[in-house]
Amino acid sequence: MRLTSNDADSTLSVSPDELPQAGPSTPALSNGHNGVLKGNGFAAPFTNGNGKAPLADGNRAEKHTQSVARVSLPGTTLYDDSHVDREEFVRLVIQSLRDVGYIESAATLEAESGYTMETSDVSRFRQCILEGDWDSAEDTLLRLGLSEEEGLWEAKFLISQQKYLELLEAREIASALHILRNELAPSSPEPEQLHTLASLLMCQDLEDLRRQASWDGAGGSSRRRLLANLQRYIPSSVMIPQRRFATLLDQAREYQQARCLYHNAPTNARTFSLYADHACEPEAFPRVTTAILQVHDDEVWNLQWSHSGSFLATASRDKSAIIWRIGSDADPSTREYHAQFILRDHKYQVGCVAWSLDDSILLTASENFIHMWNTRTGALIRVLDAHFDVVTALAWLPDGSGFISGGLDRKIILWDIDGKQRDTWGRTPIRVTDLAITPDFSKLVAIGMYDAPLSLPPTGGAIAASDVASGGTATPPTGSTAPAPANRPAENRIIVYDLLTKQLETSVKLEGELTSVKVSQDSRYALINRALDSFGLHAEIHLWEISTGRTVRKYTGYKQSRHVIRSAFGGVDENFIISGSEDGNVFIWHRDSGTLLETLPGHGSGSVNSVAWNPANPKMFATCSDDHTIRIWEADPAWTVGSGALSEGSHSLERDGSGKGKGKGREWVGDSLGGAPGFSMAGTSRSL
Amino acid sequence: MGMSYRRYLSGARIYGCSECKTHLATIHSMISRAFNGQHGRAYLFENVVNIIEGEPVDRQMTTGNHTVRDIYCVKCGETLGWKYDKAYEPAQKYKEGKYILERNLLVDVQ
Repeated sequence: MRLTSNDADSTLSVSPDELPQAGPSTPALSNGHNGVLKGNGFAAPFTNGNGKAPLADGNRAEKHTQSVARVSLPGTTLYDDSHVDREEFVRLVIQSLRDVGYIESAATLEAESGYTMETSDVSRFRQCILEGDWDSAEDTLLRLGLSEEEGLWEAKFLISQQKYLELLEAREIASALHILRNELAPSSPEPEQLHTLASLLMCQDLEDLRRQASWDGAGGSSRRRLLANLQRYIPSSVMIPQRRFATLLDQAREYQQARCLYHNAPTNARTFSLYADHACEPEAFPRVTTAILQVHDDEVWNLQWSHSGSFLATASRDKSAIIWRIGSDADPSTREYHAQFILRDHKYQVGCVAWSLDDSILLTASENFIHMWNTRTGALIRVLDAHFDVVTALAWLPDGSGFISGGLDRKIILWDIDGKQRDTWGRTPIRVTDLAITPDFSKLVAIGMYDAPLSLPPTGGAIAASDVASGGTATPPTGSTAPAPANRPAENRIIVYDLLTKQLETSVKLEGELTSVKVSQDSRYALINRALDSFGLHAEIHLWEISTGRTVRKYTGYKQSRHVIRSAFGGVDENFIISGSEDGNVFIWHRDSGTLLETLPGHGSGSVNSVAWNPANPKMFATCSDDHTIRIWEADPAWTVGSGALSEGSHSLERDGSGKGKGKGREWVGDSLGGAPGFSMAGTSRSL
Repeated sequence: MGMSYRRYLSGARIYGCSECKTHLATIHSMISRAFNGQHGRAYLFENVVNIIEGEPVDRQMTTGNHTVRDIYCVKCGETLGWKYDKAYEPAQKYKEGKYILERNLLVDVQ
């Protein structure tokens, strides 16, 4: 708001009633008229043309003099070549200064720049709202330039609504009723809304009122929220939205963060300095093996971290599962890993593991059996035998009250925490290969093989058993039948169920075998591995939006054709997608852009079957492989130790693990390290 | 080798392992019923799933010399029959790459 554009006579034409209001613009802190009406420069000698003069002496701590010279600058932009409007910029600065309490500086800036943050009408309006002076607020509203066409009625309705609710809160029913009839009824945009408001008259008590109106009372934040809602009807050039500068800076941060492909740092002042653009160092990213856990003596197929992040459960083809305890030592070179319990009582290979919410129970699935283990003692609690084919998925409920299992037998079963069947889904249309529950407890996402109804006519005994054979003698088949459909590619589907009603909500066909599903923390997306299909499409990981049933992003480059390969979200804000691969590498993508960030070698021959990011440490993940081992990945220790300041050129990491003598009797390290060709120990660079 | 789920077949008639009912083949992929195995009647199939193949061995059969591999159920390990790698007699070439399942080791499954 330009005060005067014509300041030829060397006084600032700040009329007394337009004195800048001291006090933060943020309503929470706004204190209206307690303004420190320090003498802002009236009748100051006009030092035009010397824009630096007032600041040049630098001592702004001095109780600044009675006069501040108005500085007149050419043009309207902040810099000659910028697009930023100077007035807008300065007004935001003034707002920010007020917000934090630099009242005098704000006043000085107003005087020096000739811009005020806002008119006294706006200040008064804000004050009226926050103090509940409704009549004055409505009067002021008219002076803020609202007209009947442009939001005046809507704004008034919002104010009346607050008034009404506050009267109800104060149990002044008669007055409230008056407002309802005379103010709300005539201006209500929708009858339903009015009806809802009227029904609040019936509320039994304050709790009830606040809950039903989703309103937190006059003493709560409701007046501030009202102000924010009113902002919609008042031009932002008149009343600047609250904390506008901070909003813009937040947007800049989000932009920088979105462009930071390796972003894996918490959002705070240290990682986001205003002085420089933010970028996470790729070196700080977990991409170096810091430990190899080798106790399983066959392929390791699956793994999951405990919620605490200090235990890791692994499932193997060797018919065992292992609970590993991960030492708390931050230094990977001295951290202990211990195979705390080797859970052996499985008759078959173990395909999945699932920690209860409090980490006290571990579930394992082995063929059609589910085993429940006490994680403190390693004791087998119970074996659940209700599936009649392979159990492929185990998922705890978000409230920890039980879990859900899914299997190739087309059954989905809900279990109590003590292993009693609570509920079952009917025969599902798919043989479930994996399932996941949304953290918001609303949906179950299952994937699997769908047997399309077969419409092939029976071949009608075309294969005559006419030529009686003796000992494998046979003539070539006569009526050579149609190409055998035994390997006809089965259809694969993603199915979404409502968790409470068990109703099928979505069923979407996807080509290629589906082997893994995870759900994002915000419950919006499912991450699904789709193997190379028989038509030669590449293996892809789909980021699939649950509400729309659409794939919104694909991650490619990894290999998957025949095996169960799993992927996961990971890192700060789940910024990354990580997956195993049949080529023995670990793949990591930037989630939002789909950029492939890392292809990490290290595991031996065979597939990397599953991956899991540590839920308590965004800079650590684990992978498991056909090579019988589990690898822990972290940032390069050499880099971490130097905390980024690699002063000497010590970056020449020994990238082969030949000298790796980690075998100080630690049972978790096997002896086959550095054996097989191509089994390079990526970056176990510790000096040992 | 990696983890993989057993295959499931669909069709009018599905043959499974008599021991553990794992799906093996459908009637649509059957080529002939006119074979004999160690346990009596055996069937020749174009395609069989969920099996593990053993090492190739040369075996003399009534129709001549063949290179075959025994095949086992992927789940329970039961021997189910064999696969023809190579037939030395030109008239028997059609069997190459095909599978024999012994009838007595099969059950109908769904």
